[in-house]
Amino acid sequence: MNCESATKVLSLFLYGELSLEEEQSFQDHLEGCAECRRNFEAEKAIHQALEEREVAPPAALLARCRRDLAERLAREAAPRAGWRGWRGWIEWPSLARPAGAVALAALCFLGGRWTAATAGGTVLDPQVARVRYVLPEASGKVRVVIEETRQRLLTGDPGDEQIHRLLLAATRESSDAGLRAESLDILNRRPASDELRGTLLYALEHDPNPGVRLKAMDALKPYAGSSEVRSALAKVLLADDNPGLRTQAIDLLVQKKEDALVGLLQELVQRDSNDYVRLRCQRALQEMDASVGTF
Amino acid sequence: MIREATSAMDYTPAAGVEEAALIRAAQKGDRDAFERLVRAYDRSVLRLGMNLLRSVEDAYDVYQETFLRAYKNLHQFRFDCAFHTWLYRIATNQCLDHLRRKKVRREEPAVVETEEGPWNRLDGVPEERAQGDPQRNLLNRQLGERIRAVLEGLTAKERLVFELRHYQGLRLRAIGELLGSSEEAAKTCLFRATRKMRVALGDFV
Repeated sequence: MNCESATKVLSLFLYGELSLEEEQSFQDHLEGCAECRRNFEAEKAIHQALEEREVAPPAALLARCRRDLAERLAREAAPRAGWRGWRGWIEWPSLARPAGAVALAALCFLGGRWTAATAGGTVLDPQVARVRYVLPEASGKVRVVIEETRQRLLTGDPGDEQIHRLLLAATRESSDAGLRAESLDILNRRPASDELRGTLLYALEHDPNPGVRLKAMDALKPYAGSSEVRSALAKVLLADDNPGLRTQAIDLLVQKKEDALVGLLQELVQRDSNDYVRLRCQRALQEMDASVGTF
Repeated sequence: MIREATSAMDYTPAAGVEEAALIRAAQKGDRDAFERLVRAYDRSVLRLGMNLLRSVEDAYDVYQETFLRAYKNLHQFRFDCAFHTWLYRIATNQCLDHLRRKKVRREEPAVVETEEGPWNRLDGVPEERAQGDPQRNLLNRQLGERIRAVLEGLTAKERLVFELRHYQGLRLRAIGELLGSSEEAAKTCLFRATRKMRVALGDFV
């Protein structure tokens, strides 16, 4: 090996990418060449300097990535394979994303207004959550970076526009399932509206927590005859992984006998993974004087 | 349960058997199985994004896009290569797209969020900085500047190959496979990248 070829394989040697013969040849050359030995030491120092600048992913970022991915996967959950034949009967409305976007926009808009106005509420003192970073300075002073959580208290009727919009946003954006359920409860005591129904449908189809989805389904009972709600209930039957919710969806759907429902129930008798759901489908079919099997 | 991979090379045959079962379950629609696969590899995917793109938001995007694409396309995985090779292929394509867009935008934020809080990459490594030695801090800052400049000067592919070999510990053969080219092409890319670094940093070390 000469100096030119030794220079070419400096890094490959450090990465362990040379064959045994190449390694031996490189080391033999190094022993007899002071110039290449110096280059090799410099190469090692460069590797070391680069090592020290590797960035580890912050734990908080990893946690945020995992949480958001779980939510997106829940939204992505498609109906199980083999059931595509029922898609024609089911409407797959695209209300979820626009409705979510409106709620988020409302939250940002209101947030902006609250900064400037009191909205009849009480502003509490900032609370220090934790110290993130400290940097000693040559002067002897120290710089401290802290994370603050500022809380604001707003009191008002659930019908007040600001409160109402914040409750709507909380049903979609909060990471706390209890808070989402409570917000749904409060909203559900308000007079019926398309907006409320849209919120309940969104929660039924997209909330990651089965308790919240159940609460949304209960609140949708008065609308169980509408095609939009029946479509959502059918999607629950096909895609929800909670058998309790699937059973309750059957109960609501069979209140209105429809030919298309017979086919769906027959399919479920064959395919649903849960014994009780299959049994409930069989009973529903018998009540509808329909055959249990498909021929 | 398969353990969490700390690098792309952190893979054993025993884990592979369990991993195959998880992949098959996930292909049948088992979301828990998919999330366990995510947990096994997500730290190294995020680290790849952080080191390559030096931006929390870009790394976040790479993470989300990689695993959403993996989820949507898992039914196409036929076990004709290792799962981590398949997954890293998605992740590296995402990173390449971001790198190319960054070249257009010409933006490279100096401050990166780390475990210890925001870290200005022009400063030295955190422990050295904390010692408060002004002379050493200055040298570290200059070295950091040079490293940043030379990384920015690499082509997207050179930077990716360098990252995968230097920080992720992938063999050149695996990198060639990931990038849809050969071991020799990956070796050439690495050689170009390390030569540029030698020229830029040689008088510093």
